[in-house]
Amino acid sequence: MDRSPIDELSLGDILEESDAREVKRRPPSARPRRESRMRQLLRPEPMFWGLFSAGGFVAALLLPITVGILGIAFAAGWLPVEALSYERVVDLVSHPLAKLYLLALVSLPLFHWAHRFRYTVHHQLGVHGLKRLVAVACYGTAIAGAAFAALVLFRI
Amino acid sequence: MKTEAPTRYPVYVPKAPRTWWLRTAPYRRFAAREFTAVFAAIFSVILLLFLSALSQGKEAYEGFLRWLRLPAVVALSSIILLAMLYHAGTWFRLTAHIQVFRVGKNDVPRGAVVAALLGIWIVVSVIVAYLYVWF
Amino acid sequence: MSEGRVALRVGRYRPEHAPEPYFDDYDVPTSDDMVVLDALNHIKDHIDGSLAYRWSCRMGVCGSCGMMVNGVPRLTCSTFMREFRSEPIVVEPLQYFPVIRDLVVDMTDFLEKLRMVKPWIIRGEEKPVDEGEYLQTPDEVDRYKQFSMCINCMLCFAACPVYGQDPEFLGPAVIALAHRYDLDSRDQGRAERKGILEVNNGIWDCTFVGECTVVCPKDVDPAAAIQRSKVSTATQTLRAVVWPFGGRE
Repeated sequence: MDRSPIDELSLGDILEESDAREVKRRPPSARPRRESRMRQLLRPEPMFWGLFSAGGFVAALLLPITVGILGIAFAAGWLPVEALSYERVVDLVSHPLAKLYLLALVSLPLFHWAHRFRYTVHHQLGVHGLKRLVAVACYGTAIAGAAFAALVLFRI
Repeated sequence: MKTEAPTRYPVYVPKAPRTWWLRTAPYRRFAAREFTAVFAAIFSVILLLFLSALSQGKEAYEGFLRWLRLPAVVALSSIILLAMLYHAGTWFRLTAHIQVFRVGKNDVPRGAVVAALLGIWIVVSVIVAYLYVWF
Repeated sequence: MSEGRVALRVGRYRPEHAPEPYFDDYDVPTSDDMVVLDALNHIKDHIDGSLAYRWSCRMGVCGSCGMMVNGVPRLTCSTFMREFRSEPIVVEPLQYFPVIRDLVVDMTDFLEKLRMVKPWIIRGEEKPVDEGEYLQTPDEVDRYKQFSMCINCMLCFAACPVYGQDPEFLGPAVIALAHRYDLDSRDQGRAERKGILEVNNGIWDCTFVGECTVVCPKDVDPAAAIQRSKVSTATQTLRAVVWPFGGRE
Protein backbone atom coordinates (compact mmCIF):
# COMPACT_ATOMS: atom_id res chain seq x y z
CA MET A 1 0.00 0.00 0.00
CA ASP A 2 1.32 3.46 -0.84
CA ARG A 3 2.30 5.58 2.11
CA SER A 4 -0.24 8.32 2.43
CA PRO A 5 1.29 11.82 2.31
CA ILE A 6 -0.24 12.51 5.75
CA ASP A 7 2.22 9.99 7.27
CA GLU A 8 5.10 12.16 6.14
CA LEU A 9 3.88 15.16 8.14
CA SER A 10 5.45 15.84 11.51
CA LEU A 11 3.68 17.69 14.30
CA GLY A 12 5.95 20.63 13.60
CA ASP A 13 4.84 20.69 9.97
CA ILE A 14 1.19 20.63 10.93
CA LEU A 15 1.60 23.43 13.46
CA GLU A 16 3.55 25.49 10.97
CA GLU A 17 0.84 25.09 8.39
CA SER A 18 -1.81 25.99 10.91
CA ASP A 19 0.12 29.11 11.91
CA ALA A 20 0.48 30.08 8.27
CA ARG A 21 -3.27 30.07 7.79
CA GLU A 22 -3.44 33.21 9.87
CA VAL A 23 -6.60 35.25 9.85
CA LYS A 24 -6.79 39.05 9.60
CA ARG A 25 -7.37 39.57 13.34
CA ARG A 26 -4.17 40.09 15.23
CA PRO A 27 -3.72 39.06 18.84
CA PRO A 28 -2.88 41.86 21.27
CA SER A 29 0.47 43.33 20.35
CA ALA A 30 1.66 43.68 23.94
CA ARG A 31 4.55 41.37 24.60
CA PRO A 32 4.28 40.25 28.22
CA ARG A 33 7.29 41.58 30.00
CA ARG A 34 8.16 41.55 33.67
CA GLU A 35 7.48 45.12 34.72
CA SER A 36 9.32 46.87 37.49
CA ARG A 37 7.25 47.89 40.48
CA MET A 38 7.62 51.55 39.52
CA ARG A 39 6.37 50.88 36.00
CA GLN A 40 3.40 49.01 37.38
CA LEU A 41 2.46 51.89 39.65
CA LEU A 42 2.73 54.40 36.83
CA ARG A 43 0.00 52.63 34.86
CA PRO A 44 -2.94 55.00 34.87
CA GLU A 45 -5.65 52.41 34.31
CA PRO A 46 -6.09 51.25 37.92
CA MET A 47 -6.32 54.87 39.04
CA PHE A 48 -8.91 55.80 36.39
CA TRP A 49 -10.96 52.78 37.25
CA GLY A 50 -10.66 53.57 40.98
CA LEU A 51 -11.90 57.11 40.39
CA PHE A 52 -14.69 55.77 38.20
CA SER A 53 -15.70 53.40 40.97
CA ALA A 54 -15.59 56.07 43.67
CA GLY A 55 -17.54 58.41 41.42
CA GLY A 56 -20.11 55.73 40.82
CA PHE A 57 -20.71 55.36 44.54
CA VAL A 58 -20.95 59.12 45.06
CA ALA A 59 -23.37 59.41 42.16
CA ALA A 60 -25.46 56.54 43.46
CA LEU A 61 -25.54 57.47 47.14
CA LEU A 62 -25.42 61.26 47.14
CA LEU A 63 -26.68 62.62 43.82
CA PRO A 64 -30.31 61.47 43.95
CA ILE A 65 -31.06 63.33 47.20
CA THR A 66 -29.02 66.35 46.07
CA VAL A 67 -30.88 66.56 42.76
CA GLY A 68 -34.15 65.95 44.55
CA ILE A 69 -33.61 68.83 46.94
CA LEU A 70 -31.83 71.38 44.76
CA GLY A 71 -33.51 70.55 41.48
CA ILE A 72 -37.06 69.60 42.42
CA ALA A 73 -37.99 70.31 46.04
CA PHE A 74 -36.68 73.86 45.93
CA ALA A 75 -38.55 74.79 42.75
CA ALA A 76 -41.70 73.10 44.04
CA GLY A 77 -41.58 75.20 47.20
CA TRP A 78 -41.32 72.21 49.51
CA LEU A 79 -38.32 73.57 51.40
CA PRO A 80 -38.48 75.93 54.40
CA VAL A 81 -38.15 79.52 53.19
CA GLU A 82 -34.68 80.20 54.55
CA ALA A 83 -33.23 76.78 53.67
CA LEU A 84 -31.35 77.99 50.58
CA SER A 85 -30.92 81.61 51.60
CA TYR A 86 -27.58 83.16 50.70
CA GLU A 87 -26.59 83.73 54.33
CA ARG A 88 -27.31 80.18 55.42
CA VAL A 89 -25.65 78.53 52.43
CA VAL A 90 -22.49 80.63 52.65
CA ASP A 91 -22.30 79.78 56.32
CA LEU A 92 -22.69 76.05 55.60
CA VAL A 93 -20.25 75.95 52.70
CA SER A 94 -17.57 77.91 54.56
CA HIS A 95 -16.88 74.97 56.83
CA PRO A 96 -13.78 73.08 55.59
CA LEU A 97 -15.55 69.73 55.89
CA ALA A 98 -18.36 71.07 53.72
CA LYS A 99 -15.83 72.18 51.13
CA LEU A 100 -14.24 68.74 51.09
CA TYR A 101 -17.66 67.14 50.71
CA LEU A 102 -18.63 69.48 47.89
CA LEU A 103 -15.32 68.95 46.12
CA ALA A 104 -15.96 65.20 46.16
CA LEU A 105 -19.59 65.65 45.18
CA VAL A 106 -18.65 67.69 42.12
CA SER A 107 -15.42 65.97 41.02
CA LEU A 108 -15.97 62.28 41.53
CA PRO A 109 -19.08 62.00 39.32
CA LEU A 110 -17.09 63.88 36.66
CA PHE A 111 -14.39 61.22 36.78
CA HIS A 112 -17.09 58.58 36.73
CA TRP A 113 -18.51 60.18 33.58
CA ALA A 114 -15.05 60.56 32.02
CA HIS A 115 -14.22 56.85 32.26
CA ARG A 116 -17.64 55.62 31.19
CA PHE A 117 -17.95 58.13 28.35
CA ARG A 118 -14.49 57.29 27.05
CA TYR A 119 -15.62 53.71 26.45
CA THR A 120 -19.03 54.86 25.19
CA VAL A 121 -17.27 56.84 22.47
CA HIS A 122 -15.29 53.79 21.37
CA HIS A 123 -17.92 51.08 21.76
CA GLN A 124 -21.32 52.68 21.30
CA LEU A 125 -20.43 55.65 19.08
CA GLY A 126 -18.11 53.47 17.04
CA VAL A 127 -14.99 55.62 17.18
CA HIS A 128 -12.16 53.16 16.70
CA GLY A 129 -8.73 54.66 17.10
CA LEU A 130 -7.99 58.16 18.47
CA LYS A 131 -7.65 56.30 21.74
CA ARG A 132 -5.22 58.67 23.33
CA LEU A 133 -7.13 61.75 22.17
CA VAL A 134 -10.45 60.51 23.56
CA ALA A 135 -8.86 59.53 26.88
CA VAL A 136 -7.13 62.89 27.27
CA ALA A 137 -10.31 64.77 26.33
CA CYS A 138 -12.43 62.88 28.86
CA TYR A 139 -10.08 62.78 31.82
CA GLY A 140 -8.86 66.28 30.99
CA THR A 141 -12.40 67.61 31.23
CA ALA A 142 -12.86 65.92 34.59
CA ILE A 143 -9.56 67.31 35.88
CA ALA A 144 -10.53 70.77 34.68
CA GLY A 145 -13.89 70.50 36.44
CA ALA A 146 -12.28 69.34 39.66
CA ALA A 147 -9.71 72.14 39.49
CA PHE A 148 -12.40 74.73 38.88
CA ALA A 149 -14.40 73.36 41.81
CA ALA A 150 -11.35 73.58 44.08
CA LEU A 151 -10.75 77.16 42.94
CA VAL A 152 -14.34 78.27 43.53
CA LEU A 153 -14.56 76.55 46.90
CA PHE A 154 -11.31 78.15 47.98
CA ARG A 155 -12.80 81.55 47.21
CA ILE A 156 -15.93 81.08 49.30
CA MET B 1 7.11 14.74 0.82
CA LYS B 2 4.89 17.39 2.45
CA THR B 3 1.21 17.46 1.66
CA GLU B 4 0.31 20.31 -0.63
CA ALA B 5 -2.23 21.94 1.65
CA PRO B 6 -3.40 25.49 0.93
CA THR B 7 -1.65 27.93 3.25
CA ARG B 8 -4.66 30.22 3.43
CA TYR B 9 -8.36 29.57 3.37
CA PRO B 10 -11.03 32.13 2.59
CA VAL B 11 -13.00 33.39 5.54
CA TYR B 12 -15.95 35.68 5.83
CA VAL B 13 -15.37 38.39 8.41
CA PRO B 14 -18.69 39.98 9.30
CA LYS B 15 -18.71 43.64 10.30
CA ALA B 16 -20.15 44.22 13.76
CA PRO B 17 -22.77 46.95 13.27
CA ARG B 18 -22.35 50.34 14.94
CA THR B 19 -25.88 50.12 16.31
CA TRP B 20 -25.22 46.82 18.03
CA TRP B 21 -26.47 48.35 21.27
CA LEU B 22 -29.96 48.81 19.86
CA ARG B 23 -30.38 45.21 18.82
CA THR B 24 -31.20 43.25 21.97
CA ALA B 25 -32.92 44.24 25.22
CA PRO B 26 -29.87 43.49 27.42
CA TYR B 27 -27.67 45.59 25.12
CA ARG B 28 -30.19 48.46 25.20
CA ARG B 29 -30.32 48.36 29.00
CA PHE B 30 -26.53 48.40 29.07
CA ALA B 31 -26.37 51.45 26.79
CA ALA B 32 -28.97 53.26 28.93
CA ARG B 33 -27.05 52.44 32.08
CA GLU B 34 -23.81 53.79 30.62
CA PHE B 35 -25.52 56.91 29.40
CA THR B 36 -26.67 57.88 32.89
CA ALA B 37 -23.09 59.01 33.52
CA VAL B 38 -23.73 61.91 31.13
CA PHE B 39 -26.51 63.17 33.41
CA ALA B 40 -24.25 62.86 36.45
CA ALA B 41 -21.71 65.06 34.65
CA ILE B 42 -24.40 67.58 33.70
CA PHE B 43 -25.39 67.85 37.34
CA SER B 44 -21.77 68.33 38.36
CA VAL B 45 -21.73 71.32 36.02
CA ILE B 46 -24.94 72.64 37.59
CA LEU B 47 -23.38 72.26 41.04
CA LEU B 48 -20.28 74.08 39.80
CA LEU B 49 -22.47 76.94 38.56
CA PHE B 50 -24.22 76.95 41.93
CA LEU B 51 -20.94 77.24 43.83
CA SER B 52 -19.56 79.77 41.38
CA ALA B 53 -22.64 81.97 41.80
CA LEU B 54 -22.33 81.58 45.56
CA SER B 55 -18.74 82.78 45.44
CA GLN B 56 -19.74 85.86 43.48
CA GLY B 57 -22.07 87.24 46.10
CA LYS B 58 -25.71 87.49 47.03
CA GLU B 59 -27.01 88.90 43.78
CA ALA B 60 -25.32 86.33 41.57
CA TYR B 61 -26.47 83.57 43.89
CA GLU B 62 -30.11 84.68 43.88
CA GLY B 63 -29.96 84.96 40.10
CA PHE B 64 -28.85 81.37 39.99
CA LEU B 65 -31.70 80.32 42.28
CA ARG B 66 -34.14 82.00 39.89
CA TRP B 67 -32.59 80.04 37.03
CA LEU B 68 -33.00 76.84 39.06
CA ARG B 69 -36.74 77.46 39.25
CA LEU B 70 -37.23 77.79 35.48
CA PRO B 71 -39.56 75.05 34.15
CA ALA B 72 -37.01 73.90 31.60
CA VAL B 73 -34.40 73.50 34.32
CA VAL B 74 -36.83 71.64 36.56
CA ALA B 75 -37.56 69.32 33.64
CA LEU B 76 -33.83 68.75 33.20
CA SER B 77 -33.46 68.09 36.93
CA SER B 78 -36.26 65.55 36.76
CA ILE B 79 -34.51 63.70 33.95
CA ILE B 80 -31.25 63.82 35.90
CA LEU B 81 -33.01 62.46 38.98
CA LEU B 82 -34.51 59.55 37.04
CA ALA B 83 -31.13 58.83 35.47
CA MET B 84 -29.43 58.86 38.88
CA LEU B 85 -32.04 56.50 40.31
CA TYR B 86 -31.49 54.10 37.42
CA HIS B 87 -27.75 54.45 37.95
CA ALA B 88 -28.07 53.72 41.68
CA GLY B 89 -30.23 50.64 41.12
CA THR B 90 -27.90 49.17 38.51
CA TRP B 91 -24.80 50.16 40.50
CA PHE B 92 -25.99 48.33 43.61
CA ARG B 93 -26.80 45.22 41.58
CA LEU B 94 -23.40 45.30 39.88
CA THR B 95 -21.66 45.77 43.23
CA ALA B 96 -23.49 42.76 44.68
CA HIS B 97 -22.39 40.76 41.64
CA ILE B 98 -18.72 41.56 42.16
CA GLN B 99 -18.35 41.70 45.91
CA VAL B 100 -19.13 38.49 47.71
CA PHE B 101 -19.41 38.48 51.49
CA ARG B 102 -18.77 35.30 53.42
CA VAL B 103 -20.57 34.58 56.66
CA GLY B 104 -19.22 31.36 58.11
CA LYS B 105 -19.50 28.71 55.42
CA ASN B 106 -21.91 30.50 53.14
CA ASP B 107 -22.05 33.47 50.84
CA VAL B 108 -24.48 36.26 51.60
CA PRO B 109 -27.14 36.08 48.85
CA ARG B 110 -26.91 38.84 46.27
CA GLY B 111 -30.43 40.07 46.99
CA ALA B 112 -29.45 40.70 50.60
CA VAL B 113 -26.41 42.73 49.55
CA VAL B 114 -28.56 44.89 47.27
CA ALA B 115 -31.08 45.38 50.08
CA ALA B 116 -28.27 46.42 52.44
CA LEU B 117 -26.96 48.93 49.90
CA LEU B 118 -30.47 50.30 49.46
CA GLY B 119 -30.71 50.63 53.24
CA ILE B 120 -27.43 52.55 53.32
CA TRP B 121 -28.71 54.73 50.50
CA ILE B 122 -31.85 55.62 52.47
CA VAL B 123 -29.91 56.42 55.65
CA VAL B 124 -27.36 58.54 53.80
CA SER B 125 -30.11 60.39 51.93
CA VAL B 126 -31.90 61.24 55.17
CA ILE B 127 -28.72 62.49 56.85
CA VAL B 128 -27.70 64.52 53.80
CA ALA B 129 -31.19 65.99 53.40
CA TYR B 130 -31.09 67.10 57.00
CA LEU B 131 -27.71 68.75 56.47
CA TYR B 132 -28.85 70.48 53.28
CA VAL B 133 -32.14 71.80 54.61
CA TRP B 134 -32.31 72.04 58.40
CA PHE B 135 -28.80 71.98 59.84
CA MET C 1 -45.38 22.64 17.32
CA SER C 2 -44.23 20.21 20.00
CA GLU C 3 -44.52 17.10 17.82
CA GLY C 4 -44.39 17.33 14.07
CA ARG C 5 -42.22 19.44 11.88
CA VAL C 6 -40.56 22.80 12.13
CA ALA C 7 -38.70 25.13 9.80
CA LEU C 8 -35.01 25.69 10.37
CA ARG C 9 -33.17 28.55 8.70
CA VAL C 10 -29.47 27.74 8.64
CA GLY C 11 -26.60 30.05 7.81
CA ARG C 12 -24.48 28.83 4.91
CA TYR C 13 -21.15 30.02 3.64
CA ARG C 14 -19.57 28.21 0.72
CA PRO C 15 -16.94 30.46 -0.81
CA GLU C 16 -16.43 28.16 -3.77
CA HIS C 17 -20.06 28.79 -4.75
CA ALA C 18 -20.79 32.34 -3.53
CA PRO C 19 -18.67 35.06 -1.96
CA GLU C 20 -21.27 36.04 0.67
CA PRO C 21 -23.07 34.00 3.31
CA TYR C 22 -26.69 33.06 2.69
CA PHE C 23 -29.47 31.05 4.34
CA ASP C 24 -30.91 27.65 3.50
CA ASP C 25 -34.34 26.67 4.73
CA TYR C 26 -35.01 23.14 5.90
CA ASP C 27 -38.09 21.33 7.14
CA VAL C 28 -37.15 19.00 9.99
CA PRO C 29 -39.07 16.74 12.34
CA THR C 30 -39.28 17.93 15.89
CA SER C 31 -40.27 16.49 19.24
CA ASP C 32 -40.17 17.44 22.90
CA ASP C 33 -36.86 15.71 23.53
CA MET C 34 -35.02 16.95 20.48
CA VAL C 35 -32.29 19.56 20.57
CA VAL C 36 -31.15 21.86 17.78
CA LEU C 37 -28.10 19.67 17.26
CA ASP C 38 -30.41 16.75 16.55
CA ALA C 39 -32.10 18.86 13.88
CA LEU C 40 -28.74 19.71 12.31
CA ASN C 41 -27.75 16.05 12.36
CA HIS C 42 -31.05 15.20 10.69
CA ILE C 43 -30.31 17.72 7.95
CA LYS C 44 -26.83 16.33 7.48
CA ASP C 45 -27.98 12.71 7.45
CA HIS C 46 -31.17 12.95 5.41
CA ILE C 47 -31.50 16.27 3.61
CA ASP C 48 -28.25 18.05 2.85
CA GLY C 49 -24.97 16.30 3.49
CA SER C 50 -22.98 19.39 2.56
CA LEU C 51 -23.81 21.22 5.79
CA ALA C 52 -20.66 21.78 7.87
CA TYR C 53 -20.78 22.28 11.63
CA ARG C 54 -18.89 21.27 14.77
CA TRP C 55 -20.16 19.01 17.51
CA SER C 56 -18.85 16.24 19.70
CA CYS C 57 -20.09 15.16 23.12
CA ARG C 58 -23.74 16.21 22.57
CA MET C 59 -24.09 16.67 26.32
CA GLY C 60 -22.76 20.13 27.06
CA VAL C 61 -19.23 19.41 28.24
CA CYS C 62 -16.98 19.67 25.20
CA GLY C 63 -17.83 23.17 24.04
CA SER C 64 -17.75 22.30 20.32
CA CYS C 65 -21.30 23.06 19.20
CA GLY C 66 -21.58 26.75 20.00
CA MET C 67 -23.75 28.62 17.46
CA MET C 68 -26.20 31.52 17.34
CA VAL C 69 -29.75 30.25 17.75
CA ASN C 70 -32.31 33.00 17.09
CA GLY C 71 -29.57 35.54 17.68
CA VAL C 72 -28.40 34.19 21.04
CA PRO C 73 -25.15 32.25 21.55
CA ARG C 74 -26.16 28.72 22.59
CA LEU C 75 -24.76 25.20 22.76
CA THR C 76 -26.95 23.50 20.16
CA CYS C 77 -26.72 20.20 22.04
CA SER C 78 -28.33 21.84 25.06
CA THR C 79 -30.97 23.91 23.27
CA PHE C 80 -34.29 22.10 23.13
CA MET C 81 -36.55 22.54 20.11
CA ARG C 82 -39.58 22.77 22.42
CA GLU C 83 -38.22 26.10 23.66
CA PHE C 84 -39.20 27.86 20.44
CA ARG C 85 -42.69 29.13 19.81
CA SER C 86 -42.19 30.63 16.37
CA GLU C 87 -40.67 29.53 13.09
CA PRO C 88 -38.24 29.46 11.51
CA ILE C 89 -35.58 28.68 14.08
CA VAL C 90 -32.53 30.56 12.85
CA VAL C 91 -29.13 28.92 13.31
CA GLU C 92 -26.05 30.96 12.45
CA PRO C 93 -22.34 30.67 13.08
CA LEU C 94 -21.00 32.10 16.35
CA GLN C 95 -21.03 35.89 16.25
CA TYR C 96 -17.86 38.02 16.03
CA PHE C 97 -15.72 35.23 14.61
CA PRO C 98 -14.60 34.81 11.00
CA VAL C 99 -16.62 32.11 9.26
CA ILE C 100 -14.69 29.34 7.54
CA ARG C 101 -17.68 27.45 6.18
CA ASP C 102 -21.39 27.25 7.00
CA LEU C 103 -21.55 27.11 10.80
CA VAL C 104 -17.82 26.59 11.39
CA VAL C 105 -15.89 29.60 12.72
CA ASP C 106 -12.20 30.30 12.95
CA MET C 107 -11.03 29.88 16.53
CA THR C 108 -7.45 31.02 15.92
CA ASP C 109 -7.85 34.36 17.68
CA PHE C 110 -9.31 32.76 20.79
CA LEU C 111 -6.63 30.07 20.94
CA GLU C 112 -3.82 32.58 20.46
CA LYS C 113 -5.10 34.77 23.26
CA LEU C 114 -5.63 31.79 25.55
CA ARG C 115 -2.02 30.80 25.04
CA MET C 116 -0.83 34.33 25.80
CA VAL C 117 -2.27 34.36 29.33
CA LYS C 118 -0.45 31.09 30.17
CA PRO C 119 -3.38 29.15 31.57
CA TRP C 120 -1.31 26.63 33.51
CA ILE C 121 0.33 26.42 36.93
CA ILE C 122 3.47 28.54 36.89
CA ARG C 123 5.95 27.86 39.68
CA GLY C 124 8.98 29.89 40.68
CA GLU C 125 10.44 26.61 41.86
CA GLU C 126 9.04 23.20 41.10
CA LYS C 127 8.66 20.81 44.01
CA PRO C 128 10.62 17.60 43.36
CA VAL C 129 8.37 14.62 42.73
CA ASP C 130 9.53 12.67 45.78
CA GLU C 131 8.38 15.53 48.03
CA GLY C 132 4.84 14.65 47.09
CA GLU C 133 1.87 16.55 45.71
CA TYR C 134 0.87 20.17 46.21
CA LEU C 135 -1.82 20.09 48.87
CA GLN C 136 -4.88 22.29 48.86
CA THR C 137 -7.62 22.75 51.40
CA PRO C 138 -11.24 22.68 50.19
CA ASP C 139 -11.38 26.45 50.79
CA GLU C 140 -8.36 26.97 48.55
CA VAL C 141 -10.06 24.95 45.83
CA ASP C 142 -13.30 26.90 46.25
CA ARG C 143 -11.47 30.12 45.49
CA TYR C 144 -10.92 29.21 41.86
CA LYS C 145 -13.21 26.22 41.23
CA GLN C 146 -15.99 28.16 39.54
CA PHE C 147 -13.59 29.69 37.00
CA SER C 148 -12.05 26.32 36.21
CA MET C 149 -15.34 25.03 34.79
CA CYS C 150 -14.80 26.79 31.45
CA ILE C 151 -15.21 24.47 28.45
CA ASN C 152 -13.79 26.96 25.94
CA CYS C 153 -17.06 27.07 24.03
CA MET C 154 -16.60 30.78 23.16
CA LEU C 155 -20.27 31.65 23.72
CA CYS C 156 -19.07 34.48 25.97
CA PHE C 157 -16.99 35.93 23.13
CA ALA C 158 -20.05 35.84 20.90
CA ALA C 159 -22.03 37.69 23.54
CA CYS C 160 -19.38 40.32 24.28
CA PRO C 161 -19.96 43.58 22.37
CA VAL C 162 -16.51 44.84 23.39
CA TYR C 163 -14.95 41.89 21.58
CA GLY C 164 -17.31 42.54 18.70
CA GLN C 165 -16.17 46.15 18.41
CA ASP C 166 -12.51 45.70 19.32
CA PRO C 167 -10.93 42.43 18.21
CA GLU C 168 -7.81 43.23 20.22
CA PHE C 169 -9.74 42.67 23.46
CA LEU C 170 -8.59 39.52 25.26
CA GLY C 171 -12.15 38.37 25.88
CA PRO C 172 -14.16 36.97 28.81
CA ALA C 173 -13.14 33.30 28.88
CA VAL C 174 -9.46 34.10 28.45
CA ILE C 175 -9.43 36.56 31.34
CA ALA C 176 -11.55 34.26 33.50
CA LEU C 177 -9.11 31.39 32.93
CA ALA C 178 -6.11 33.61 33.69
CA HIS C 179 -7.91 34.69 36.88
CA ARG C 180 -8.51 31.02 37.73
CA TYR C 181 -4.77 30.45 37.80
CA ASP C 182 -4.05 33.69 39.64
CA LEU C 183 -6.42 32.48 42.36
CA ASP C 184 -4.90 29.00 42.54
CA SER C 185 -2.76 28.64 45.67
CA ARG C 186 -0.31 26.43 43.79
CA ASP C 187 0.33 29.10 41.15
CA GLN C 188 3.12 31.68 41.37
CA GLY C 189 2.66 33.23 37.96
CA ARG C 190 0.52 36.29 38.62
CA ALA C 191 3.37 38.67 37.83
CA GLU C 192 3.91 36.95 34.50
CA ARG C 193 0.29 37.31 33.50
CA LYS C 194 0.04 40.95 34.60
CA GLY C 195 1.71 42.27 31.48
CA ILE C 196 -0.99 40.87 29.24
CA LEU C 197 -3.96 41.12 31.60
CA GLU C 198 -3.57 44.47 33.25
CA VAL C 199 -3.06 46.50 30.10
CA ASN C 200 -5.50 48.27 27.84
CA ASN C 201 -6.64 45.26 25.86
CA GLY C 202 -6.95 43.15 28.97
CA ILE C 203 -9.22 43.66 31.92
CA TRP C 204 -9.58 47.44 31.51
CA ASP C 205 -11.36 47.25 28.16
CA CYS C 206 -14.24 45.41 29.79
CA THR C 207 -17.22 47.63 30.54
CA PHE C 208 -19.14 45.00 32.54
CA VAL C 209 -21.91 44.49 30.02
CA GLY C 210 -22.40 41.16 31.74
CA GLU C 211 -23.77 39.22 28.76
CA CYS C 212 -20.84 36.83 28.92
CA THR C 213 -22.03 35.59 32.31
CA VAL C 214 -25.63 35.35 31.09
CA VAL C 215 -24.79 33.05 28.16
CA CYS C 216 -22.16 30.89 29.87
CA PRO C 217 -23.46 27.29 29.95
CA LYS C 218 -21.20 26.32 32.86
CA ASP C 219 -21.86 29.25 35.24
CA VAL C 220 -18.26 30.37 35.11
CA ASP C 221 -19.29 34.02 35.56
CA PRO C 222 -16.43 35.58 33.58
CA ALA C 223 -17.83 39.06 34.26
CA ALA C 224 -17.23 38.59 37.99
CA ALA C 225 -13.71 37.30 37.33
CA ILE C 226 -12.85 40.38 35.30
CA GLN C 227 -14.34 42.93 37.70
CA ARG C 228 -12.68 41.24 40.68
CA SER C 229 -9.37 41.47 38.84
CA LYS C 230 -9.96 45.19 38.45
CA VAL C 231 -10.77 45.60 42.15
CA SER C 232 -7.74 43.59 43.19
CA THR C 233 -5.37 45.45 40.85
CA ALA C 234 -6.73 48.85 41.87
CA THR C 235 -6.46 48.11 45.60
CA GLN C 236 -2.96 46.70 45.17
CA THR C 237 -1.90 49.86 43.34
CA LEU C 238 -3.54 52.07 45.96
CA ARG C 239 -1.88 50.16 48.79
CA ALA C 240 1.50 50.35 47.07
CA VAL C 241 1.17 54.09 46.58
CA VAL C 242 0.01 54.77 50.14
CA TRP C 243 2.44 52.31 51.72
CA PRO C 244 5.27 51.65 49.25
CA PHE C 245 7.27 49.50 51.61
CA GLY C 246 7.05 45.74 51.75
CA GLY C 247 6.30 44.43 48.28
CA ARG C 248 4.00 41.53 47.69
CA GLU C 249 3.68 40.21 44.13
